[in-house]
Amino acid sequence: MQHAIPVDELGVQGRFMAEAVDACVHCGFCLATCPTYKVLGEEMDSPRGRIILMKEALEGSIDLAGALPYVDRCLGCMACVTACPSGVAYSHLLTPFRTLAELQRRRAPMNQVARTLVKETLPYPERFRAAVQAGRLGQLTRRLLPAELQGMLRMLPATLPPAAPLPEVYPAQGPQRARVALLAGCVQQVLAPEINWATLRVLARNGVETVIPRGQGCCGSLSLHIGEAEQAQMLARRNLAAFPTDVDAIVTNAAGCGSGMHEYPLLFAGEADLPQAQAFSHLVRDITVFLAELGLAPPDGLPEPITVAYHDACHLAHAQGVTAPPRQLLSAIPNLRLVEIPEGELCCGSAGTYNLEQPELAAQIGERKARNILSTGAQAIATGNIGCMTQIRTHLAALGRPLPVWHTIELLDAAYN
Amino acid sequence: MPNSALIDALATFLPVHRLLRQAAELAPYESDALTAFRSRPGAVVLAETQEEVVRVVELCHRHSVPFVARGSGTSLSGGSLPVAGGVVIALNRLNRIVHLDPQRRIAVVEPGVINLDVTKAAAPHGLYYAPDPSSQLICTIGGNVAFNSGGAHCLKYGMTANHVLGIKAVLPDGAVVQLGGDSLESVGPDLAGFFVGSEGLFGIALEITVRLLPRPELYRTVLAAYHSLAAAGDAVAQVVASGLLPGAMEIMDNLAIQAAEAAVHAGYPRDAAALLIVELEGERVQVEAEFAHLLQVVEASGPYEVRVAKDDADRARIWKGRKSAFSAVGRLSPDYIVQDGVVPRSRLGEALAAIQRLSAQHGLRVANVFHAGDGNLHPLILYSGRTPGELERAETLAGEILNLCIELGGSITGEHGVGVEKRAYMPAMFNPVDLAVMNELRLAIDPKELANRGKMLPDGDAPSLTHPGIHPLEQQGVISRA
Amino acid sequence: MFTALAGTPLAEVQAALAEHGQYLPFDPPLAAAGATLGGAVATGLSGSGRRRYGGVRDFIIGMRYVDGQGRLVRSGGKVVKNAAGFDQHKLLVGSLGSLGVIVEVSFKVFPQPLAFATLQISGLSLASAIDTIGRLSTSHFDLEALDLLPAEGAYTLLLRIGGPAAVLPARLEHLRRWQGRGEAVADDAAIWQRTATFSWLPRGAKLAKAPLTLAALPALDAMLASCNAARRYIDGSNLAWIAWPGAWDELDAQLLALGLSGVALLGPPTEQPLLGLHNGANLAARIKQTLDPENKFPPLNGGKQ
Repeated sequence: MQHAIPVDELGVQGRFMAEAVDACVHCGFCLATCPTYKVLGEEMDSPRGRIILMKEALEGSIDLAGALPYVDRCLGCMACVTACPSGVAYSHLLTPFRTLAELQRRRAPMNQVARTLVKETLPYPERFRAAVQAGRLGQLTRRLLPAELQGMLRMLPATLPPAAPLPEVYPAQGPQRARVALLAGCVQQVLAPEINWATLRVLARNGVETVIPRGQGCCGSLSLHIGEAEQAQMLARRNLAAFPTDVDAIVTNAAGCGSGMHEYPLLFAGEADLPQAQAFSHLVRDITVFLAELGLAPPDGLPEPITVAYHDACHLAHAQGVTAPPRQLLSAIPNLRLVEIPEGELCCGSAGTYNLEQPELAAQIGERKARNILSTGAQAIATGNIGCMTQIRTHLAALGRPLPVWHTIELLDAAYN
Repeated sequence: MPNSALIDALATFLPVHRLLRQAAELAPYESDALTAFRSRPGAVVLAETQEEVVRVVELCHRHSVPFVARGSGTSLSGGSLPVAGGVVIALNRLNRIVHLDPQRRIAVVEPGVINLDVTKAAAPHGLYYAPDPSSQLICTIGGNVAFNSGGAHCLKYGMTANHVLGIKAVLPDGAVVQLGGDSLESVGPDLAGFFVGSEGLFGIALEITVRLLPRPELYRTVLAAYHSLAAAGDAVAQVVASGLLPGAMEIMDNLAIQAAEAAVHAGYPRDAAALLIVELEGERVQVEAEFAHLLQVVEASGPYEVRVAKDDADRARIWKGRKSAFSAVGRLSPDYIVQDGVVPRSRLGEALAAIQRLSAQHGLRVANVFHAGDGNLHPLILYSGRTPGELERAETLAGEILNLCIELGGSITGEHGVGVEKRAYMPAMFNPVDLAVMNELRLAIDPKELANRGKMLPDGDAPSLTHPGIHPLEQQGVISRA
Repeated sequence: MFTALAGTPLAEVQAALAEHGQYLPFDPPLAAAGATLGGAVATGLSGSGRRRYGGVRDFIIGMRYVDGQGRLVRSGGKVVKNAAGFDQHKLLVGSLGSLGVIVEVSFKVFPQPLAFATLQISGLSLASAIDTIGRLSTSHFDLEALDLLPAEGAYTLLLRIGGPAAVLPARLEHLRRWQGRGEAVADDAAIWQRTATFSWLPRGAKLAKAPLTLAALPALDAMLASCNAARRYIDGSNLAWIAWPGAWDELDAQLLALGLSGVALLGPPTEQPLLGLHNGANLAARIKQTLDPENKFPPLNGGKQ
């Protein structure tokens, strides 16, 4: 599509943004997989519409303030990228645009408070743990709080599992086949520490030694995706320094983190850290991709037959193009029958902090996902992202059908015992 | 220049979030899949009921404001290009499947229902909706009706018009009529058939009765790779002469193959100069017998490689590649013009050779991906709007291809419609009397020329032009820019 | 495809096509009686073979006609696919001469099936016949024709298939097993000839056609039975051929009461050939006024609204 984006005025990211607009032929194929378009049925809330809005805002022909509500409603699920025949790198437009917009916009005071809370707590496990505990006290006085903060409190779990610090090295069982470094993550480490432990056990059982580098922290993708590029760079630099590169892979069990770490080269485009960022992101693997590439040691199986629906986390399926490996691993488990979810390409509505920023839409999209899951008759759900797990649990429960939701790696772990 | 009296009237029954007026709300509606033209409407109405559509049309008529119905905006001929300052009636939320009767093999749907969703709803009953435009995963039935959309599988079962039995429509003055019914047969003039393909000039379909077909017991799909486009064209003639009736017969040239492979990894032979896809469908024993015959015919046509789809997944990949090809060409070139001319099947080879010659002559790449069995060409003319003069050259080349189709006894459009894009070429295809009669019919139905003004017929208001090149209408002296 | 002048006899067209292994898939009736191509279009008549691919409206691709102002007008084209302009050639299908004089028509045609075979299922009640048609409609069997005929207090279904001769016995057997009953018809051509020539019409009976659906069949059949009207239903009961013993206006009233439409085909001329219910009068009137402002041609329906 033709445009008049002032590329040179927009810094390094300008070229990426312009290339994404260039590649769009306006065919509309992306509309079919866009969750907000499915729910709202209006062009502004479609990927194609948002590309036009961002293009026009960058060109200066429409106000940023007018365009932002629609750009804000984008989940960043990247289903459109999977659907796009023309190869539009939508994230290359969206992410820098959000960063630019953040610099220019004025947020309402309470919204700013909520946002600051998100950005200053979620990426830091200790702060998040403390915040959850404080938040439980806050539940008592919830009705006195502004809407923005109420929404945040609603998302907090009633109880937290005890903290379970990870070792520095987890040895392989039997002959060593590989050595990897694990990203411990931030939110997930607090909400579901057992996922990391399951990961360590499954890796060990597959002959993999895992190091958990000290000094690592949040991958920064949460900050990056809400337009806080500076904080994202700070967090990413910490990981670039902390992780060894003499490993076979840098493994993550959170789809969002994997996607974010693959974006490090974009984050550091034109900066001195670029070569290091490229080397790092080259090593990054989702746990399921790593195991599928390695060749999974045959699992013993589950005690009872069970039907499991696999939910594609957007940051795995769309942002990283990973759909086959998790299915391949799950299908290798004796006694497990895998089923597909109708409209499987649609996001569950969790999408990082979307739940907090667009609660109404997130709820509509979440309910649609829960109904689609229930239509399969599955007894449990497997997925590869903590955000999806929380969102799907919430919406299944709201429909009165609280089926268990597991991380793929937890099912594998169970199948080895 | 939106009409404030009309806006006030609309605002009495439409909430602000369904009567879009802000720049950021209107900009995404400025064009469809033909981005060379853009035009900002005065308002966009997100209709949710048929009654609302009728009311909006009535009011537009009363205030003499042009309106354009819009589905998913996938027209390749600019069919849903808004009229500047006019009203866009977006029908996406009018997406109910009102009724589906498997025994009678019909479905009654609203215009905003997505083409593929009809098939999804019919599938549990062993039925499907046959017309399959490449955009079927998002294009709407309302748009299909307006433009008589085709698709790869229209060779055997025909276009949209052959699958529409009845239409409830609002005419441009607000009158609601029922055309046709729910039987495959009808008596009296075929009004439903006449309405289909009228490009929105006769009003807006509110409810459409479509026929469904039983899903074939077996599909057999073969890919054949050739060293030349002409050889693939000849193979088509041989398949036709063999007495077989394939469900689809498609050709892609090397540029199209490269683009589709990059987009969806369909598994096409990347080095082929041309790829022929032929599909048979029907009862198992018959398809198997016919497929053996087809393979003989194809093998005898001189391909250097023949591949048969292994299973349903393989077949789906083959078709996904084919159906993504237009958009995928966006990977090869920042801009392109899609043409849709038709030539008699017997003159396919001649037409392809002429297109290659014209392409070389104008120094512009042309990708070909087309419905070979129907003689329906889709040359995609690749250019860059940033290179001065290239758009003009591309448009000249496009015009020469259209004239070529007419000279060979064909048509300027097989399935994309005339829209805003090809209306300058209508006089080359129809004589002044033919066009006068069309215009009179249009005026009898829409005296104020409000419904999708500026489409199909070669006079009337020109679209507002925001693209840099010379519009074909300008070249012909029909319109000029201030 | 082919183009022919409107007065060309159907039999001549069929013979010319047969030389090239092609046929008219909409299977127009009365070819043997001398019916012309233009007549088939103007009356909008298709035969039992429409089951497979569709009727006359589905195969016409272009036309030249003379309108009420004496203008020679072209619509459509001579290629199998064409989306340019308003499809007036479809408008003239079934128009009964009210809009213009058809001069020349172009049709899309298909390869003719190499052989045919028919399965006959007799002794059905109407309810079980309807059930069978419904089940066949959602099955994967490709039928060339699916006719239902009342016969001696019961009903008979005729299921015709077409294709290479070598596979027809197997296909017929699949069909018979799926249905659980029925026998192959010995002389396939003869049985279908009988339908196409209307040789089953009682002497002196008028002929009308009425579009319908499976849902409307029981009421229509009951009415026709009570009036002693011979009848056949073709294309899975989408069309009734009615041998009407009474006056046209009686049939008109009966169809109207049932919410059905029809057209008078053979019998005493009538000013109002369209029977029963009519749709789209508003649009049709505007079109008539445009193409024939001085009413040179017969009115659309005797002026009846």
